[in-house]
Amino acid sequence: MDETNEMDLLDRQLREATPYLDDDGFTGRVLQKLPVRRPRLQAFRASILLGAAVIASMVAYLLSDEGRFVSEGMVRMAGMSPLMILSLAMIIGILVMVGGVAAAISRDRGLRILG
Amino acid sequence: MELTDADLVARVLVDEDQHAFSELVRRHQSSVRGLLRQLTRTDFALADDLAQDAFLRAYKHIRSFRGEARFSTWLYRIAYNVFREDARRRKELVGIDEDAVEAEADPQTVDAGLRHDLMHALSLLPLHERSAILLCCQNGLSHDEAARVLDIPLGTVKTNVLRGREKLKRTLAAWQTN
Repeated sequence: MDETNEMDLLDRQLREATPYLDDDGFTGRVLQKLPVRRPRLQAFRASILLGAAVIASMVAYLLSDEGRFVSEGMVRMAGMSPLMILSLAMIIGILVMVGGVAAAISRDRGLRILG
Repeated sequence: MELTDADLVARVLVDEDQHAFSELVRRHQSSVRGLLRQLTRTDFALADDLAQDAFLRAYKHIRSFRGEARFSTWLYRIAYNVFREDARRRKELVGIDEDAVEAEADPQTVDAGLRHDLMHALSLLPLHERSAILLCCQNGLSHDEAARVLDIPLGTVKTNVLRGREKLKRTLAAWQTN
């Protein structure tokens, strides 16, 4: 048997000599020792975002003369042709879709970096 | 479709998903525990403690996994570091000397059976050769990956594998003759 074959045989024997170790509760013991998740932090982050959105809306409402721009906008929209309203709805739909696709691509790229 | 290691790591990173991490532990526990059992010279209890420590450390520092290497390679590196730290601590505490243990090992006590012979012959190798053999020959890492795990130059890994194999061959041949 030549040198290379001999080495391959030794490697194979070494691999075969290593039995698969059954879990026997090992994973469970590791999980028990993992640090406890902090849901409070996520809730805190969500409440900050919500709070900021509410405050921004209130400021916008006050600065716009108590929301007069909303009623004016409604009046202006009522004067639009149905084709114009349809086009506006389509444009808004496309913008939302582009935003969603961009978010999905960015998440996918994040996963690929790890791979 | 089964999720890849990278998918599971991403779930741990994004959602702190402990179920995803438990799947990673389940997948790699055998190889990590096996490696540590060989490094600790078949001290199963110690090896399992170190493996547990290695997985906990992996969870804690999972953000430092950049996906440049395989997850298993990254895990082996952590396990090897945990083992080395423990060995250093023990040496300081009770003065265990790796080389002295080697000299005490008696090949005559080897039981029958190739598997046992191989494992015993492996345990007689010095740590640097044993680690290289375990990673490259037993766990299928490339020399480059093993160099990263052991944090030594590539050439040293190659030399250690070569020397380790030669010694294993010689030891096994000597036992067969006896």
